[in-house]
Amino acid sequence: MSTDTATYRRDLLRALRSHHVAPDRIGEIVAEVESHVAETGETPVEAFGPAREYAAGFAGPRPLGARLAGVWLVVLGAACGWLIANGVFGLVADERVHGMPAGVALALGALLWVPPMIGQLRRQLPVADPRTGRRMTPGPAAVVVSMTVFLALLAAATWLVAVLTV
Amino acid sequence: MPDDNWPGEWLRAVLPLCVLAAVAAEETYGYAVAQRLQAAGLGTVKGGTLYPVLNRLEEEGFLTSSWREGAGGPGRKYFTVTAAGAEHLADRTSAWQSFTERAEGLLPSARSPR
Repeated sequence: MSTDTATYRRDLLRALRSHHVAPDRIGEIVAEVESHVAETGETPVEAFGPAREYAAGFAGPRPLGARLAGVWLVVLGAACGWLIANGVFGLVADERVHGMPAGVALALGALLWVPPMIGQLRRQLPVADPRTGRRMTPGPAAVVVSMTVFLALLAAATWLVAVLTV
Repeated sequence: MPDDNWPGEWLRAVLPLCVLAAVAAEETYGYAVAQRLQAAGLGTVKGGTLYPVLNRLEEEGFLTSSWREGAGGPGRKYFTVTAAGAEHLADRTSAWQSFTERAEGLLPSARSPR
């Protein structure tokens, strides 16, 4: 696969997901692009236009439930970040966080990270290549690992700031 | 007017029917349909225009598709016309011919002096 096609695949997958296209349809659309340009020798942009514009043609209406769930997950994510940050500062300064032990705030923050993780897993169902059956996107384990690493890095950065400032 | 420069609205109107006709002629894949349309004088139809038309025809139940391994390539998606698609093609072809005959009756002859 050329660099052009690999980049286009990544951009098209991302754009189709952002438009809430079903994983089966995403696999078909991406495979059609790759198959077609392999036959014609064109670049994907020459044949299909920019990935974002091509993907927009497949966009359906976003259900109200999905929009509300998105807002709810952002709120939970923010609460999680706030509890983790305050928990870390509380541990370093040996202080309670809003009346609770700092360790409890930290654990509560980590627990609040679970719903956004589940939401992300549900939103990013794996896309299979209809030609081979192989995955075109990372599996659920990669989503869990990347989100856990993100949270750990956030906690580590906060700890560093706390150690330097408290 | 050069063959590959038809007004876009003409092509948009007739493309689904021509694509359906190309698939009805023989089981085929996207690039071959584009070549068939070009050989018929309709100009170059890019993938970004062609595949949404093929997908819509499939959603409407006029085509079915299946992936098959390509010779050294990444695989081809073959399209086949359904019974409903063949019936739709026959109905619309007849209607299209009546429509274009009527439109032609209104238009001045290309060779007639204005």
